[in-house]
Amino acid sequence: MDEMRGMTPADRAEAEAVERLLGETAAVRDEIRRAAEAVDWQALPALIADRALAAEDGAAGRKAGAPVRLPWPAALRMRPALAGLAAGLIVGAAAMYLALKAPGPRPGRNEAYYASGEFLDRAELEMARRGAVDYLEKSQYVLLDVFGSDEAGPVAPASVRMSQARDLLQKKKYLNGQLERFQMAKAKALCDQIEMLFLELSQIDDELPAAELGRIRGFVEERQLLLKINLVKKELESGV
Amino acid sequence: MSELSPEPQAGAAAIEALLEKVQAGDREAFMTITRLYQRKVFVLAYSILRDREDALDAVQETFLRLYQKAGLYRPGNSFQGWLLQMAKNISIDHYRRNRKKKQEWETTTPVEEMPLAAGPAREGDSAAADLRQAFARSVESLAERQKMVFIMRHYNELQFNEISEAMKISIGTAKSLHFKAVQNLRKRLAPVLGIGS
Repeated sequence: MDEMRGMTPADRAEAEAVERLLGETAAVRDEIRRAAEAVDWQALPALIADRALAAEDGAAGRKAGAPVRLPWPAALRMRPALAGLAAGLIVGAAAMYLALKAPGPRPGRNEAYYASGEFLDRAELEMARRGAVDYLEKSQYVLLDVFGSDEAGPVAPASVRMSQARDLLQKKKYLNGQLERFQMAKAKALCDQIEMLFLELSQIDDELPAAELGRIRGFVEERQLLLKINLVKKELESGV
Repeated sequence: MSELSPEPQAGAAAIEALLEKVQAGDREAFMTITRLYQRKVFVLAYSILRDREDALDAVQETFLRLYQKAGLYRPGNSFQGWLLQMAKNISIDHYRRNRKKKQEWETTTPVEEMPLAAGPAREGDSAAADLRQAFARSVESLAERQKMVFIMRHYNELQFNEISEAMKISIGTAKSLHFKAVQNLRKRLAPVLGIGS
């Protein structure tokens, strides 16, 4: 009260309000005291100690090799993070199994580059066939070019003829493997004969004399090379 | 010594010695510590939970945790502050769980099955009871740190330095939170107390 003597009325009212307010805490303290009186404080420490030791014994028992056996779904329910991890592993493993087991493109790969072995074999056979047809066709043009003019001599100059023959010889080297692999024996035999002819032509670097021209023409006619080229080409194109 | 916690105080060295024994599984040492601090923990728990059984559960849980974590106490720090901090956290957890259960119960139980809040009031008790309820609700509605400081200061009757240790805040912050708590309570209770806000 002495403290309030020098205060303004407003300050005094404020102080009284706070005092009255804090006075209410006394009522709560009374309530707590009444609640505390009903507790057996002598027995409580022993009760808590028993519980603490029992809990410790239980934990020690579990550690000592007496595991609490729970059915695994129950164990997972008790540990949501573990359950989530396990579920993730199971789903991931299943997805990986299905992805690797299923035929077709593998996940993560560019589908544009995927082809089965069978498809690749068919594609290579087709390429070999087209390569052989192309070789025969070009060889046919060269032969017709060389022998197209009867007594007047070849239409193409010697340099062009040599260059064409060398290109075709080069090409034949790559064609050999494919013809052998796919057992295209007829085409290979014909291509071999043409190769020998081009080998000879590529070594003659000046204009063909009439006698030489006649000899080579005889070879072509005797072997019926142009006719054979047409027949084999048709066979290859029809896929027989 | 607190009016509500009449147990004798133990020195820091004595407490540290007891804690060492507790770590070794000494039942008597654990019971001694429990005996020394059980009422303080009860007062704090009851102030938060306002229910005797709930408060006793919180007291048991606090000391069980102490038994498990006695090795985590750092010598030199306030043991009482450390213990009350544990008690505060446990009590707040209880409070939140209880509030959730209460909300669920209130939404699922038919009105006619709910017990009456109080019996018929006696003449003269009504105004005091209203004020007490309004006061309890106002303390309840304070921000958590303000509420804890207010409870520790007025119900546990702790000094500000003890509050600062228990809440891991500075003494200045504890005083500031207490001042704000009182101002807020005064503002909220102005109509009930019959004073201007």
